[in-house]
Amino acid sequence: MQALLSFEQSPPLAAPLRFFLSAPLFVVLAGVLLVVDGGALLGSRWSPATLAATHLLTIGFMLQVMLGALIQILPVVAGANLARPALVAALVHPAINLGALAMAAGFLFAEARWLQLAAALLGLGLAVFLGVAGRAVFRVPSTSPSIRGLKLALLALAATVGSGLFMLLVLAGGWPVALPGLANLHAGWGLAGWAGVLLAAVAYVVVPMFQLTPGYPARPAWWFPPATLAALLLSTLAVVVDAGWLNLIGRLLLALVALAFIAQTLKLQVGRRRARPDATFRYWQLGLGATLAALLMLIVETLLPAGVVLPAEWTVLLGVLVLVGGFLPFIIGMLYKIVPFLLWFDLQHRSLPGKAVPAMNKLLDEPRMRGQLHSFFVAFALSTVSVAAPAWLAIPAGLALIVAGAWLAHNLLRAVLRHRDFRRAGETAKMPA
Amino acid sequence: MLEDHRHCDDLFAAAEQSAGDGDLVAARLAFGQFRDAVLRHFTGEEATLFPAFEERTGMRMGPTQVMRMEHEQMRALMDAAVDALESGKTEDFLGQADSLLITMQQHNMKEENVLYPMCDQQLGDAAGALVERLRSELEAA
Repeated sequence: MQALLSFEQSPPLAAPLRFFLSAPLFVVLAGVLLVVDGGALLGSRWSPATLAATHLLTIGFMLQVMLGALIQILPVVAGANLARPALVAALVHPAINLGALAMAAGFLFAEARWLQLAAALLGLGLAVFLGVAGRAVFRVPSTSPSIRGLKLALLALAATVGSGLFMLLVLAGGWPVALPGLANLHAGWGLAGWAGVLLAAVAYVVVPMFQLTPGYPARPAWWFPPATLAALLLSTLAVVVDAGWLNLIGRLLLALVALAFIAQTLKLQVGRRRARPDATFRYWQLGLGATLAALLMLIVETLLPAGVVLPAEWTVLLGVLVLVGGFLPFIIGMLYKIVPFLLWFDLQHRSLPGKAVPAMNKLLDEPRMRGQLHSFFVAFALSTVSVAAPAWLAIPAGLALIVAGAWLAHNLLRAVLRHRDFRRAGETAKMPA
Repeated sequence: MLEDHRHCDDLFAAAEQSAGDGDLVAARLAFGQFRDAVLRHFTGEEATLFPAFEERTGMRMGPTQVMRMEHEQMRALMDAAVDALESGKTEDFLGQADSLLITMQQHNMKEENVLYPMCDQQLGDAAGALVERLRSELEAA
């Protein structure tokens, strides 16, 4: 109990930070792919460049930040202390980074050895993480919707990793297995089950905390994570027994549950007591709006009569909305709260009692975050429109994504360097004259 | 006690809003009210609730000690924010306010999720009298 309240139980600063600092580089890499191979990338979800770019964003950026954040927040939100967080971070971090790069290379160059290497790195790294995090979290009783959400998200991550590894081996070995159905399930478990449920579990805590909104109502908050997993299980069962109608029910249920969560969050934000719209708030608004649009597309797609064939660009647009419009903004918005706070908290802990330390905006100020936010809005708008006119807009969209990713990396790195300067200044001040 | 946390949040939001709008007079007034309310809340906890908890459980160096330390941090942050407001440095004030808000929220989260339930559990029989005392302390001044 006391462990939950004390600073000493927080993992070392470097454990989460290393994930946060390397993640933005994968946004830059995805931008490079868009510049180099935009036509193929935007033309079909199955092109090698699309698969590579998707996994640069989902593994290299999203998963990477989420793992780093979990190492930090599991002790605070769930009272679940990870065993040896520094060692876990030191093992998982390189495995994720190299694994994401190997996978992108494997897709791009259709090279079986790279895919096998990716499978080995990601499989081992995530097995370590799931083992350690699972052991810590499943020992804690589910006393809040957040804790229940964290547990279910970890189960969904295991399903995502399992299905992903299987597909990598199929591709690398050239086995005769049809993958599209499985790939849809993999995407559903990864995006809705893992990323979506994790996002909700964290939002229950941070949305009221940062924006001073009312809390999420308890009953829907408890039900959202299990309802999401139930919908995914229905779709999974549907693929196994080959029942199209069941898949339809699963997908509709998933879309409705997610819509309910988005609507609830928007409603809370309307009732917020903090009127100042900061960069995080703007990022969340973009994320909520784009996800809403993507969910409506998913519903339309599901309800279309059999025989109507959608253009290949439809799914690509859906992907751009969910990833670039939805998850990236949510995550960047959170990074802009988490990183300055962790650095500031560390300074605070090192300072002499009663002596004020530099405020958070001295580490990372609002104008810098806002500038990067605007560059990201441009990147999102161009990526979305470029689906309709890849020949004209893929290159500008890719360049904009490179700028937004590099700017994010710069902002975060600058905050870390300023923290180091302040820390040194503080240490000199502590020495006797 | 939980409602008092929300009350302090409201006062904080009002002060930040005024400062953001550039209305320093209103911001000083609202932040003053916020600070008074928070200090009363701290005093209520430190003088009444925490000693009762420590008495009953024998845990003197436990959670209440961590909470006292965080109260100290927040007192320093509020002082720094007042200084910034007094000298008209709006940006500095908003920066301090941001740090203060997060410290305050995660502190409240610990109290509400861990310490208050422990207090309810440990002090169940004495709760009536204790709540009355806390209430009068929070309303005083």
